[in-house]
Amino acid sequence: MLTNLLIFLPLIGALVVWAAPLSRGETAALAVLVALSEVAIWVVALVGFDFGSASLQDSAQREWFGDLGVTYHVGFYGFSLWLAGLTVVLGAAAIGFGAWVGRDRARAYFGLMLFLIGAVVGVFASQDLLVFYVFFEAMLIPIYVLVGVWGGPNRITATVTFVIYTMVGSLLMLASIVVFGLSQGTFSLIDSGTSGNEWVFLGFMIAFAVKAPLLPFHGWLRTAYTEAPPEVAALLSGVVSKAAVFGLVWIVLPHFPGPVDSWRTVVLVLAAAGLVYGSLLAFRQPDIRGVVAYSSMGQMSLIVLGIFAANDLGLDGAILHSVSHGLVSAAMFLLAGMLIHRTGTDRFADLGGLAKGRPALATVVMVVGMLTLAVPGSANFAGEFAILAGVFTQGWGYAAVGAVAIVLAAMYTLRLISAVLHRARGEAVREESRDLRLLELALVVPLVAILLALSVWPTAISGHSPGLPTQGSSEATP
Amino acid sequence: MIAGAWLCLLAPLAGALLITLAGTHLSRAAAGWISTLSVFVGFAGALVAFLQVAGESADERSHTSTAYTWLAAGKFQVAMQILVDPVSLTMMLIITGVGGLIVWYSMGYMKGEDEERRYFAYMALFVFSMLMLVMGGNLLLLLVGWGLVGLASYLLIGFYHDRPEAIAAAKKAFLMNAIGDAAMALGFFLLIAKTGSLDFSTAFDAASSGQLSPNTANLVALGLLGGAVAKSAQLPLHTWLPDAMEGPTPVSALIHAATMVTAGVYLIVRTHAIFEAAPNVQHLSAIIGGVTIVVAGLIALVQWDIKRVIAYSTMSQIGYMFLAAGIGAYGYAMFHLLTHAFFKALLFLAAGVIIHHLAGEQDVRKMGGLRKVMPYTHAVFLVGALALAGIPPLSGFWSKDGIIASALAEGGVLGYTLLVLGLLGGFLTGAYTFRLYYLVFHGEPSELVLEHAGGHMHEAERAHGHGEHAHGEGPLSMLAPVGVLAVLAAIGGLIVIPGLWEPFLTWIDGVAEPLVTASVTQDYATSAAAVALAGIGIWLARWAFVAGRELVPASALRTVFEHKFYFDEIYDALFSRPAQLVANRLRDDVEVPVVQRSLGEIGTGVKEAAGGTARLQSGLLRSYALVIAGSVFVLMVVFVAVR
Amino acid sequence: MLGPSTTWYVAVAGVLFGIGTTGVILRRSPLIVLLSLEIMLNASNLALVGFSRHFASVDGQIFAISVMAVAAAEVCVGLGLIVAFTRRNMALDVDTLTELRG
Repeated sequence: MLTNLLIFLPLIGALVVWAAPLSRGETAALAVLVALSEVAIWVVALVGFDFGSASLQDSAQREWFGDLGVTYHVGFYGFSLWLAGLTVVLGAAAIGFGAWVGRDRARAYFGLMLFLIGAVVGVFASQDLLVFYVFFEAMLIPIYVLVGVWGGPNRITATVTFVIYTMVGSLLMLASIVVFGLSQGTFSLIDSGTSGNEWVFLGFMIAFAVKAPLLPFHGWLRTAYTEAPPEVAALLSGVVSKAAVFGLVWIVLPHFPGPVDSWRTVVLVLAAAGLVYGSLLAFRQPDIRGVVAYSSMGQMSLIVLGIFAANDLGLDGAILHSVSHGLVSAAMFLLAGMLIHRTGTDRFADLGGLAKGRPALATVVMVVGMLTLAVPGSANFAGEFAILAGVFTQGWGYAAVGAVAIVLAAMYTLRLISAVLHRARGEAVREESRDLRLLELALVVPLVAILLALSVWPTAISGHSPGLPTQGSSEATP
Repeated sequence: MIAGAWLCLLAPLAGALLITLAGTHLSRAAAGWISTLSVFVGFAGALVAFLQVAGESADERSHTSTAYTWLAAGKFQVAMQILVDPVSLTMMLIITGVGGLIVWYSMGYMKGEDEERRYFAYMALFVFSMLMLVMGGNLLLLLVGWGLVGLASYLLIGFYHDRPEAIAAAKKAFLMNAIGDAAMALGFFLLIAKTGSLDFSTAFDAASSGQLSPNTANLVALGLLGGAVAKSAQLPLHTWLPDAMEGPTPVSALIHAATMVTAGVYLIVRTHAIFEAAPNVQHLSAIIGGVTIVVAGLIALVQWDIKRVIAYSTMSQIGYMFLAAGIGAYGYAMFHLLTHAFFKALLFLAAGVIIHHLAGEQDVRKMGGLRKVMPYTHAVFLVGALALAGIPPLSGFWSKDGIIASALAEGGVLGYTLLVLGLLGGFLTGAYTFRLYYLVFHGEPSELVLEHAGGHMHEAERAHGHGEHAHGEGPLSMLAPVGVLAVLAAIGGLIVIPGLWEPFLTWIDGVAEPLVTASVTQDYATSAAAVALAGIGIWLARWAFVAGRELVPASALRTVFEHKFYFDEIYDALFSRPAQLVANRLRDDVEVPVVQRSLGEIGTGVKEAAGGTARLQSGLLRSYALVIAGSVFVLMVVFVAVR
Repeated sequence: MLGPSTTWYVAVAGVLFGIGTTGVILRRSPLIVLLSLEIMLNASNLALVGFSRHFASVDGQIFAISVMAVAAAEVCVGLGLIVAFTRRNMALDVDTLTELRG
């Protein structure tokens, strides 16, 4: 019941927003209200969740195409509940940001945002391959429109690239789903057994590699993240990329143990290369969103390292890092949006000196930056540490690459911080450019607060993710 | 006792949070007081814990208190726990005691500075982080503290954030430390893979019982050493420390002299079991220390910035501690750490008084003759300088000579080499310290000094009312902490008098049993040699000053010293440039042309294919119908034929 | 079985279908094209009913009724379009109505 509510409340909200003749202000208010009630519902689900049990909870099931073995089946495991929580929280922040900026064509905009949130929650809740596919596609449609209509000057290029990449991935995945489902006689993710078919495995892998993105499949990343409106970019990097995490963890790992083992090295090498590649490119980007985009690529590669580490340590770390990376990159994109709102740009060359006389802005940017570079003690550090400690058992080289990436992350984040906050005042920065105001703080500070709380107690996620497929086969024996 | 320890840890954190959250609702003075008091509350907590632990018998002095599980992933678990034992208590007392004095001093030094609140929040944050480092009850929490002090150091070095040099220095410090952190983390990953845990007891038991293979022990120890070398600014990861002097002077005193930079020594003492399982690595740390003593001492001879001279001196002194820890004289390593905290903080703070008095001037060439203008500062600086040079009975003498004697006791090629390096270092210390002393305090007052001597008279008259210490040299909140430190620097060494009275060594030995112990004869022999050499150094500095000459005459050698042995240039060429080049190449030759342009080509290809297909859609209904009918016909024929 | 054999039904249906197809392909007036389409649908209806009778099953008749319903709906839309064209004074010639050309 809760799960259905969590999925369909925003979808219904979207329909209402589209259909009802509300003014811009009312639309925004309604959307914010729906987004906040999502958070509330999720909190209720969290409170009632039994983390001691590794079974599906809050589930709802309904016959769909009975003959094909397709059922509408949704529910949450521990780890997917965290991903859904990430979605609703970031969704609320993004919608709040949209309301604050006052996006034009408000009804279409807020409807699409709500639709997106509902679809992503659906992805994380789905327990049937076809349901997963439907939500996965439903999630992409609003993104196309949101980027294509409300994006920056090159939004059309960005949208077309994004569409091509995701379409190719989705179609391969659809083919894989059909083959896998028919061969298993069921599309249920819980009941279906394992498969050794490498082609089917690759179909899934490529779809998720595009979404994450992993190294050779990241061509859409830069334009999509920088041309999208900041709050949409926040959702893209914070939440939508985590659909790949869910897919890898809940479809690929448990159902393709053979191919996973034989392709493990390839995936690990690609992920390690992507980690360094993304971090190096992030170091040379001329604007905030470019840095965060490539840093996201690096961090997602790191998460994939954890998922393919073949032990619980890496996997738990990957879930923790998914949540903390989602929060931190979304916060960074929202901050970039706020800076653009003030100065009209997020290019480093035109910014600088914003710390002087703007204590709130300086503090928030600094804290978020430090979380981005995973300063020891932060939730991001805990996730990174667990992932690298986990992947160490697969070869010390991966951990060494990860260690290099720690240094690179420090390099690009410090560059970002000092280019924005420090040194002399940039051209685009006017004396009267204001400090963050209460409304803006209300959007970013909750994200930061959650991250700080997780930093105090990262076990909240890493130790409370029951239901993950066991990866004990090659775990180091103490 | 445990409550006292937790109070010690959390009070500064509470202070930092309070100042941050209160923002502009708090007056600047209030922020300073909150910061100072929170650190002193921490000191009180540490003192309570110390008194209780000191009352216990020697083998029951280690206490662990666990709050909750900080990180649990898979079977790996790390608790949020603190360890209270003689070593961590010593560090806690230094950090909160000296730290409290320095924060108090800052209230005078930073008065009127823009963004003063931010400064005090950072200071409290630093003290918390440093306490976390030394109190952390397992290796991961140690790493957390390790990283957080790096963060605090970054924030404070870059405090004057509109100065590009300050920001560059801050970034450099953070990066160097990140390299160290990464090395340490790698060592920890290996340890997790082998033992499944990062608890002190598990790791040390595995190391001392021989459960770790020599290879593993070596690698883990190397990782730890990498972290220690970066944090303690030892060769070859030392280049950030001199640049870090861009930060405010109290920061240099607290972070880059008294506490953070000595964390590497703490680390080696704390994890001595692992280092003892990897004797080669342990000896490597001694050699690194020995070489750093001399190299830093040589560079210090030619520096003109008052703070940089003291910074190189810090590197050199930490070299002694590494030397001691590397040959297993843990008690003396900690002892030198303690006395160094006193006299080096004193020197920095005294330098701060001078800089404050001269409105920010740090170049010693523009100083001179300050003895008459600032007699109080002159007196305390002289105490600090003598303690640093190791002149008895001041504190530096007792600790440094213990280390040199331990090197002699170690014997062998290693021991004698270290002995020579240590003695040479003693000579250099005397020379560079007193070169600085004479340049600043003696001779005729320079123009700058005269100019500022008048400007402060009004303030001086006011200050007279507050006590005999204030002579118009600065506010009382600056002079009082300096006075306290001067007393400590003078008598702080009297807790170890070889052969007679060694409570401090017994205190530390309970945690880290020393590998070498010098006999009393060796002690006095090396003392005599060291004091003689330091005396020669001092005499040489005086002679050079009176003769108006440089200690190191202009030559190729001097150029090398002035360029700090070209470390910055080498790193720039070896790492910084290649990294930028690779990144640029990746962007210009791979990402943009291959990934992003191929994207355009995919787009064009799809468009063309679509265009071709589109031409079939003529829109002529009847031709569609014809095609359909024709196809049906063909299908029928095929169907019939196939049948 | 009374009446002509099933073959005749199918033959008539085939002829009707051919006439309808020819009409769709050759005629240019949308009205006549629609009429021809109706003829094709009726041809298939006839075949369905014929087979239904042949196999003594009602399935074919049910299909035929469905087809009629669809045909009625389709004619409504088609005629509506034609009326709309006429209102706008557009030429009633399917060869000029190529708005959907790719």
